[in-house]
Amino acid sequence: MAAAIEIEELSKDFLTGFWRPRPYRALDRLTLSVDEGEVFGFLGPNGAGKSTTLKLLMQLLYPTTGSARILGRPAGDLAVKRRVGFLPENPSFYDHLTGEELLTYFARLFGLRGAGATSRVARVLDDVGLGAERRLRLRQYSKGMVQRVGLAQALVNEPDVVFLDEPMSGLDPLGRRHVRQLMLRLRDRGCTVFFSSHILSDAESLCSRVGILAQGRLVASGRLSEILAFELRGWEVVVANLDDAVRARLEPQVRGITALAHGRYTIELAPDASPERFVHELAASGAQVVSLNPLRETLEDYFVQSVGAAAARETGL
Amino acid sequence: MRAISLVAGAVFKESVRDRVPYSMVGFAVLLIAASYLISQLTAGQDLKIIKDLGLAAISWFGLLIAIFIGIGLVSKEVERRSVYSLLTKPLSRDQFILGKYAGLVFTLVVNLSAMTLALALLLAYMNAVAPPEVKAGWSAPALDPRLLTAVVLTVAELTIVTAIALFFSTFSSPLLSALLTFGLWVAGHFNQDLRNFESVVNAPAVAWIMRGLYYLLPNLAPFNLRAEAVHAVDVPIRDVLLTLAYAACYVAVLLVGAIAIFRRRDFK
Amino acid sequence: MTASPPHAARPSNARLLAALPLLLAAAIGLQVIRDLDRRPFEPQAGMLWFRSGEAVKRMSLGYDTIVADVYWMRAVVYYGGERLSTTTPPNYDLLYSLLDLVTTLDPRFSIAYRFGAIFLAEAYPSGPGRPEQAIALLQRGIERTGRWEYMHDTGFVYYWWLRDYKEAARWFERAAQVPGAPSWLKPLAATTLAAGGDRRTSRRLWEEVLNATDAQWLRGNAEFRLKQLDAMDLLDQLNARAEQYAASQGHVAQSWQALGPAIGLRGIPLDPAGVPLAIDSATGRVSLAANSPLLPLPDEPPPAPPALPPGPRS
Repeated sequence: MAAAIEIEELSKDFLTGFWRPRPYRALDRLTLSVDEGEVFGFLGPNGAGKSTTLKLLMQLLYPTTGSARILGRPAGDLAVKRRVGFLPENPSFYDHLTGEELLTYFARLFGLRGAGATSRVARVLDDVGLGAERRLRLRQYSKGMVQRVGLAQALVNEPDVVFLDEPMSGLDPLGRRHVRQLMLRLRDRGCTVFFSSHILSDAESLCSRVGILAQGRLVASGRLSEILAFELRGWEVVVANLDDAVRARLEPQVRGITALAHGRYTIELAPDASPERFVHELAASGAQVVSLNPLRETLEDYFVQSVGAAAARETGL
Repeated sequence: MRAISLVAGAVFKESVRDRVPYSMVGFAVLLIAASYLISQLTAGQDLKIIKDLGLAAISWFGLLIAIFIGIGLVSKEVERRSVYSLLTKPLSRDQFILGKYAGLVFTLVVNLSAMTLALALLLAYMNAVAPPEVKAGWSAPALDPRLLTAVVLTVAELTIVTAIALFFSTFSSPLLSALLTFGLWVAGHFNQDLRNFESVVNAPAVAWIMRGLYYLLPNLAPFNLRAEAVHAVDVPIRDVLLTLAYAACYVAVLLVGAIAIFRRRDFK
Repeated sequence: MTASPPHAARPSNARLLAALPLLLAAAIGLQVIRDLDRRPFEPQAGMLWFRSGEAVKRMSLGYDTIVADVYWMRAVVYYGGERLSTTTPPNYDLLYSLLDLVTTLDPRFSIAYRFGAIFLAEAYPSGPGRPEQAIALLQRGIERTGRWEYMHDTGFVYYWWLRDYKEAARWFERAAQVPGAPSWLKPLAATTLAAGGDRRTSRRLWEEVLNATDAQWLRGNAEFRLKQLDAMDLLDQLNARAEQYAASQGHVAQSWQALGPAIGLRGIPLDPAGVPLAIDSATGRVSLAANSPLLPLPDEPPPAPPALPPGPRS
């Protein structure tokens, strides 16, 4: 499988300070590759350098050292730009244009003309759910609508590779679901998707591979299935109507009891405990079992671990 | 080429929907209309003052349009980050700059034509209603084609100002760009005096600097043919062509500079 | 428990809007009161901040002609205001500076030179009575543009105000030599040399001014002068007849009733301005009525010495 994106030792220094400019290393020797058709999640806390990486790939920034290739050609090559789509973080466009006009402008820049451009623009706007608002000026769009227009302009040329910087930002749950489905459709079509996010649940449901960036360095990367052990860590039981006597009795047997609102409690059991017997016991003592869930290691746990370790390395603890 | 014309078209569209050029054209037309009233105060010089005020309004408001849209071209876009989505399309940075410039020059031409039309209409009206004995006393015809020469040179002057605005806006904020552009325009009109300072100043080093500055800074005085147009003085065509060629060269210098800076810029 | 306050609606501006006209009325009222016992501030002399034409030209940044127009309007209004002023005696101190500014900013502004030629030289109280200022202004015009009109005007000032007929003729001659100058300049030069001060020559001068310009105020001035000359002719005629009457009657005519019928007039003759002429009962001389707008008549120059025949060209 050919590599759609190849990044090698990519670094970026910014000069900070007016009188004695000192370099601030925003990205440190990033090496990464993404195969065609993959959905790659580029994760990390705020300020890790994710946006910097995306801008370097789109040649909005020039690297200090290192290189990047997209579809076999150097990043920023005009031929590459024809086959690539980009959604910037917190996008902003030309307020005075309507959604339709903006996309038509971009479509024409891609070489689409006349009826071809019109139909493509209409289709893309429908895909992102802006069919009805296409004739409104962009200055009248809500944040969620602007985000969707941003997606639309990233997809107007039916790209082979899309780069999305925080694609879910500003969207309500309905919008996020919509975008998730869109991204899955892109994957099904064979498009390579490279997106950055700090919302991990999105990555869990979408990605085949992830990379975690912290303080400019890639601290972990690999297949999701490899990263997450999927070993059982324990059980979580949510109960209601637990009276204090029963609670006191159970406390030493279990790993932890946490009070939730409205008289509900969360009880955590060790992985080797037998949940069926426990539930039975609870029901016998008059409590009401609301739910029983297995606890597996999540991406969040992994994330916190990796980032924490990176920070520890930094400060030398 | 196609990309450049697309960007130029987008700039023109933006200017059409922007209130600034409209207000400038509106003010200019108002001023031209008002000149008719003012002309009653001039003891018989009404035609002269209408021409003077008309040409001055076209020049002054054209300058304001050039500066305000010029700085918006790049500075505001970078500030608003709308440049991110544009530069990631198959459009080189050179094409971006050239397209923006072409769009602004086109906008200027359209706006100045509107103002010139208003002036021409007023002069045609004056021509129609003036009694023959008054007309005999006019030192120049009301609808004098020399006025058009003055306007053309004003447009040429403004293409230089626009290029200056574009140049500054590739690396500085909108406010700073506006101030620097206006400052250079002022310097461009004082430029002639730099030459004369040479004869006044004793120190040769200072004179050298003056002379250097005279050549380096844009010399905008030759673009001012307003006095000649109003007094119906013919300017040799050779001078006009040389001035236009100077404008083209100076604009090229500025555009090359702008492209050079913009090409290497990081967009954080 | 009291009722809860009404749901916070958008605040009403009724009271503020009502207060606005009251406040404005108060401000205007105070102004009126203040103006009642103080006359509005009038500077002693008009203020002209910039006297240097070159400085103003620098600051105009290429808008010279429009600034020249502004100063021109100011000059016209200034002159007119001073001349028509009834409260204070006219003060034309700034006129020269204003015209100098206008012509420095726009050297081709011909009407300003000609305006200066006429009105700077006008005798007080119609003008500042400074013919040398007029000549200085015209000289600069000649240096900058070499136009025959300014040379003619210079000659004019020498002729009419300075009574220097030789100099005037010299200037008319110079004007005649400018390419494109009208053909009547040369004979005018000759006539001036020969019969300067002669009323006919003066009349020609003013007639040429009348024909050569269309500016209303210039024409008006020329017409006024011509009317004055007409009046002088008329007075000369009538006074000649009055002397004849005195000689034949043995006493001077003491009124129009006496003189009129004797010279075949019905009613009292009018001067060119339409005001009845007066006759002095003591001397029998006819003159303009005291309220005639044609007064004061220009001084009668002393009769020119008999013209010498043109000698060998010197």
